[in-house]
Order: sequence, then C-alpha cells, then structure tokens
Amino acid sequence: MRDDWWIYLFLLPTVVGYGLYTVYPLVASWWYAFLDWPGFADVGTFIGFANFELLWADDLFWNSFRNSLVFLAIAVPLRVGLALLLAIVLNRRSTPFRGLFRTLLFLPVVTTGAIVGVVFTLILDAGGPVNLALVKSALVDSPVDFLGSSGMSLYSVIGVWVWKWLGITLIYWLAALQTIPNELYEAARIDGAGNWKEFRYVTLPLLLPFLVVITLIDMVGALNVFDLVMTLTGGGPAFSSEVVEVYIYRTAFGATVPQLGYASAAAVLFGLLTMALAIAQALGIRAARRAMA
Amino acid sequence: MSTSTTPRPSRRQLLRTAGGLALGLPLLNACTGGGQSAQNAGADPTDASGPITVNWWDHFRPLTELFEKKLFVEYHRKHDNVSVKRRQLDPADLGQALQLARRSKQLPDVHSTAGLSGSVAALVTNGWFHPIGDFVDLGNSPMKDHLYDGIHRFDGKVYTFPVFSGRWHDSTTWVNSALAKQAGLDPEQSPATWDEYRATVRTLDQKTPDSVHGLLLPMKDTDYLGGKLTAFAQMAGAPGQTDWKTGEISVASEPFLQAMEFLLALKADGVLHPASSSLGPRDARARWAAGEAALFPWGPWFIGGLMVEESPAVKRGISAWQIPAPSTQRGTVYVAPASGSFFVSDQAKNPKVAADVLFQMTTPEFAAQLATRMDQPPILIDSVDKADVHPAYKKNVAFFQQDVRIGPVPEVRNGGVAKALAEMRDVHPSPGEIVQAVLTGSTKDYKTALQQYADKATKERKRAIDAAKKKGAEVSEDDWIFGNWQPGQDYTQASYK
Repeated sequence: MRDDWWIYLFLLPTVVGYGLYTVYPLVASWWYAFLDWPGFADVGTFIGFANFELLWADDLFWNSFRNSLVFLAIAVPLRVGLALLLAIVLNRRSTPFRGLFRTLLFLPVVTTGAIVGVVFTLILDAGGPVNLALVKSALVDSPVDFLGSSGMSLYSVIGVWVWKWLGITLIYWLAALQTIPNELYEAARIDGAGNWKEFRYVTLPLLLPFLVVITLIDMVGALNVFDLVMTLTGGGPAFSSEVVEVYIYRTAFGATVPQLGYASAAAVLFGLLTMALAIAQALGIRAARRAMA
Repeated sequence: MSTSTTPRPSRRQLLRTAGGLALGLPLLNACTGGGQSAQNAGADPTDASGPITVNWWDHFRPLTELFEKKLFVEYHRKHDNVSVKRRQLDPADLGQALQLARRSKQLPDVHSTAGLSGSVAALVTNGWFHPIGDFVDLGNSPMKDHLYDGIHRFDGKVYTFPVFSGRWHDSTTWVNSALAKQAGLDPEQSPATWDEYRATVRTLDQKTPDSVHGLLLPMKDTDYLGGKLTAFAQMAGAPGQTDWKTGEISVASEPFLQAMEFLLALKADGVLHPASSSLGPRDARARWAAGEAALFPWGPWFIGGLMVEESPAVKRGISAWQIPAPSTQRGTVYVAPASGSFFVSDQAKNPKVAADVLFQMTTPEFAAQLATRMDQPPILIDSVDKADVHPAYKKNVAFFQQDVRIGPVPEVRNGGVAKALAEMRDVHPSPGEIVQAVLTGSTKDYKTALQQYADKATKERKRAIDAAKKKGAEVSEDDWIFGNWQPGQDYTQASYK
C-alpha cells in the first residue's frame, strides 16, 4: 500500500464522484421512499410503507412500468439484432466503403439525446420529410401521426432510440467478431460450409458470451430514455409513451404539490422489479446453457 | 566530458508526481479563493453601500427588453452599486430550476413562480419567501387596493403584490389577418357563437392554399387543453371547475360536456393543423407565425411573444377574436384575483435591495411601460388605453373587461384552506389530460372520464381536508361554498366579509 498509494490517489476522483452522484442519491432515495415529502417543504415526515401501498394501487405507475417493459422487449432485440447483422456485413473485407458506413452509423451516438428528440419532432411531423415521402410514394393516403397518436407514440420513440444508439452496439459486435479466428472460417469452407452454415456453426456459438454482455448493456441503456421521451412526446398522448423515468419526473417535479417521497418510492419499486427480472433472466440463461451442455 | 550523477526519475515516479500536482492544485485554489474578487466574499449583506448583485429569474419572455434595458438600467442609474442579473426560462424549466436551486441553497434573490403549480400559501407556509412589507411602503402605493389576504398577505405580512391584472383568459383567437382577407373574411369581425366559429374556420381552411390550415390546437400541453375546456365551459354557463353555489366539482356538468363536444367538432371538421397533436403552445405559435394556420387560441401575451423573435408576423397583420359562446347568450369567464408575480426568496442575500427593485414596478409609469410589452395586461389597467400598443392587443383587453369576472377564492376567506390544498395530490387523468386523450383518439367516453375525475377529485379534497385537520387546520368542505356569489359579477374584497 505504501508503494502503491498513488494508484489510490488517481482512483480518488472517480470514487468520490461516483459516490456523490450515484451511490449517495441511490441510497438516499431508499430513505426518501418512506417519507411524505411535499416538494415545497425542506424535510419529509416518516410514513412507513404508505407510499408503496399507494403506488401498488396506482394505475399510472403500472402503465409506465408496462411501457418500460414494452420498450425493453422491442427496442433491445431490435438494436442488438440489427447491429449484429450490420456488423457481419461491415466486417467482410469485400464490403465497399466499410469505414464510411461505420462512421455514418456511429455519428448519431455522439449527438445529444434531447437534441435528437427535438429534431425528430420535425422529421416525424405531419409535414416533415418522412410523411412527405410516405404520402408521395402512395404508401399512405394521409400523414401518419407518429408522435401524437397513442397507438404509435411509444413505437416511434423506440425507432428513434434504436437509430440513435445502433452505432455503439455495432462497435461492440465488430470487436466481438474480431475475436473469431479466421482459421475456423477457413476450416469451415474447406468442409464445404456456405455463408449460413458459417454463421450458424462458427460465428454464433462463439458470439454467445458477447450476446449476453451486449444485451445487458443495451438493456441498461433502454432504461435511460428520459431525454428522448420528454422531447419527442412528453410521455403522451394520454400517457401512452410515459415510461417509468418520466412518471417519476412528473410526480417529483410536475405535480401541483411535488411528491418527492412518492417519486422516490416509484424509483425504488421499479429498481426492485427490474432486479427481479434481471435475476430471472440470468437463471433462465444458466438453465438454457445447462440444457445445451 | 562530465556525466551527471543525479538519478533521473522513473516514469512511474513522474506519473506519481504529476498526479499529485493535478489533484492538489484545485484544493490549493479553493483554499486561497482562486483569485476571485472580494466583491461578495467580504461584503456585508446588510450594507447596501457595497457592490450588490440581485439575481432575478422569471419566465416573462416578452418583458426581456423592459426589464433588462429599462427597469434594471434605471435602477442602476439611481443606485450605481446595484446590478440586476436576469435569467429567463420557460415556465416548466423555471419550476424545476427553482426546486433544485432551493435544495442547493442557490435560489435567486427575486423570482416568479411559474412552474411551481402549488398555491402561494403553501410556498409561504414552507418558508420560500421573504416578506417585503417592512422594506417597502405598499400601503401608500397604487397597489394598496389590490392586496388580498391569502394571496399577497399572510398573517399580516405582505409577501408580494400583483403586477399584472387577473382579468384575462388564454382562449382569445389570434387571427392571421392576411389569410382571413384572402378567404374573403373580415379579420376584425369575431364569430360570436360556436356554430359561426366552426363555419368561419372551415371557410379559412377551404379558401386558403392547401399548405395552410384553419386552426392550430396544440395538444401536447394538457394545461393548455384544460384551460380551453374550462373557458369554453364557462362561456356555456359553468362557474368553473368548482360550482361556488354548492362547492361541488362540476367538470362533468352539462356546460363541460358541451365544451368537449365543441372541441371534438372542430377536430371532426378537419380544420386542425395536422401537427397539432405533437405541438406545445410555443411551437404552435411559431407555426402560426410561419403562416401554416390562420387561427391560434392563446393568451394576451401572444403579440408580445411574437415581437421578441417573430415580429414580421405582427407586421403582416394580426387581429383578436372574442371567445365564442354556444349561443348569443354569453357566459362569463371567472378567474381568481391577480396573484403576485414576483417574490423575494428567503435565501436572498439582500432582501431589502431586492424588495426595492421590485417596488419600482408599482408606479403608473412602469404600468404604462408594461402595457407596451403586450404581455398579460398590467394591474393598473387604465394604462393600456394610454399606451402605445397594437390595436389587436387593446381590443383583446377590452374583450376581457366584458367577459371576465373575478371569482371567489376559498383560501382568502379561510387561511386553513391553503393547508388543505398543500395536502392535495393531483388526480389523473385531469380534465386537460382527458381532452388530450379524446382529441388524440385514445378514449371516446369523455362523459365517464369527466365524471370519474369529479368523483376522485371530491374524494381527494375530502382526504386532504381530513389530513389538514389532523395537523391542526380549521377547514371543511363548506369553505368551497360561497352563498353570496352572484354569477356575472366580481367577487370583491368586500364580498368576503
């Protein structure tokens, strides 16, 4: 330790920052969840599990939870699958302008989520380029209300989110594909395997461990869509695109009398439920692996 | 040739030293003050002779020039040690910023309360504001007749005063005069009834180019939609969301159903701008300014807001139409008395100076200047007639004198009501959210939805009253009943006695 003190010195800013801005708010919210804390008051009053009881009976909380799950269930496989397909194509030496396509696909990743949301409200507007193209090509008779229709709003947000973050998942897959030795592909070709059999028997099995990690990373990302949802739809119309983060924000800051304790309880309950889902998923994967072995 | 015997540092040692310096320098900086001036570090906050900065946050975009180039500049001329630093935010952003700033003890000295939807009484009870009555003589100012207990004055202390008149609503239809003339209509002629209004909008939609639509009705903001529903219901005869004769929540009453049907009829007529469902009011104003629609119902600040960034739209021609009613027998829009717009925060470093800056807004001269900004009408309403304002703005203010009356406010009569209001949780879906759901096709049964809201809101009010009583407040459902309220008339200060 005496010789390595400087390592701890370099780690200190990260530890302090992480502790102050991630761990402390997380732990503090567990305590706040047990308080009746109107946002105008300086402190709250301890009320035990009353917030959780109210939350359990709150239809809007379950609506936002359902929307978050739908978001996860559709957006993550779409992002992971599409990025894998693109990575396979862009990993081939025979693909022209590989570098250019990789750059173009990665560019949205470095843009700010809120700005993307604002720009896409114009792109998806009734008179915007997407609707113009759809109407002029006679695919639809009248403009599609992507963001103002309760049947379309959540899926529109999913589409924009996948577009924005596809590039980073592509990079993960490209890195994963680099780990597969070329000799395996050569051996497969010698044995007469075509493209599909190469993918099915060489690429896919070796990518499975990466699939678990990349899916997990993308799932975490899918639970942080507040900026995009707020700028695109505000959680509407009629709460159709309100995910849990927006519900928490609305309860904490948008209410007539802000309910900080109640919002914290929503955050805690959501965290517990997603933890339960993650554990169930991990157990399921372990069981599947055992079955395959 | 000599060789140095001083041992050279290894790469590890070099990194170690650099890292230590990089971490140590900011700490050293903090200890010595980082070279910042002693302007605030050494100044006595009660000594008005040292340099003082008054931090000011508000949401009044049309008043930017009036505040920053006139009010603050004139104050600085008289008190050269005082400068005012202003920040303007959208109402929703301001509410969030204020809540966060309060927690981190960084509240500005003066701020408006847009975005903090709770009652002023709740904020006063929780110590948000500094009373200003001891610093400035409001009792001998033009404001003295406009101060209400429970709105501006609490427990004998004055915390604020109204700058703007309360006599307004946000359902004036703003007309693109050029498009109206193109459709063969007189832009100065308001359609009086809902049927005439619909016919006029259809004419505008049909007799203008295809790229132009009749009406913008932004549906992203549910408060905006709730305001439309309530105003139209009041023109149909409703007192408001509460019936002051009985104290009941009346959003499921016949006038509200008629108002909902009117909004649905506009949608069914096919005259709405197709992007309406995904726009907020400010986006809609930009679309109106770009000539994409002929009409847009919004508040009195419309022209003032356009003048900030879209002044060509005003020069192109603009008119105001009076809020229509179901028939020629017009109802009345009831509003609360004008509330205070600005407050000195309890974290103000120089509350006396901050109050003094505020006090400059109580003069008739300031009211005349305020009127020229064409935001909400000033509290000293006579100044509008004398001010250099757009004719449409003047006409709209005259409409307010005809259509708007001051209604009763329970917390003025009984301060305990504020404690019950502080206990109340929002009921969802609210009337505005129901309108949004109906107009976007998410739900069709608005009658049931409005009745459910009325039932839940009644239950929630009772729960809040019981909770407030347990904390010692004296309040009951009877506090929402005003037996001496007369429809069509102002409920004045004398009426509370």
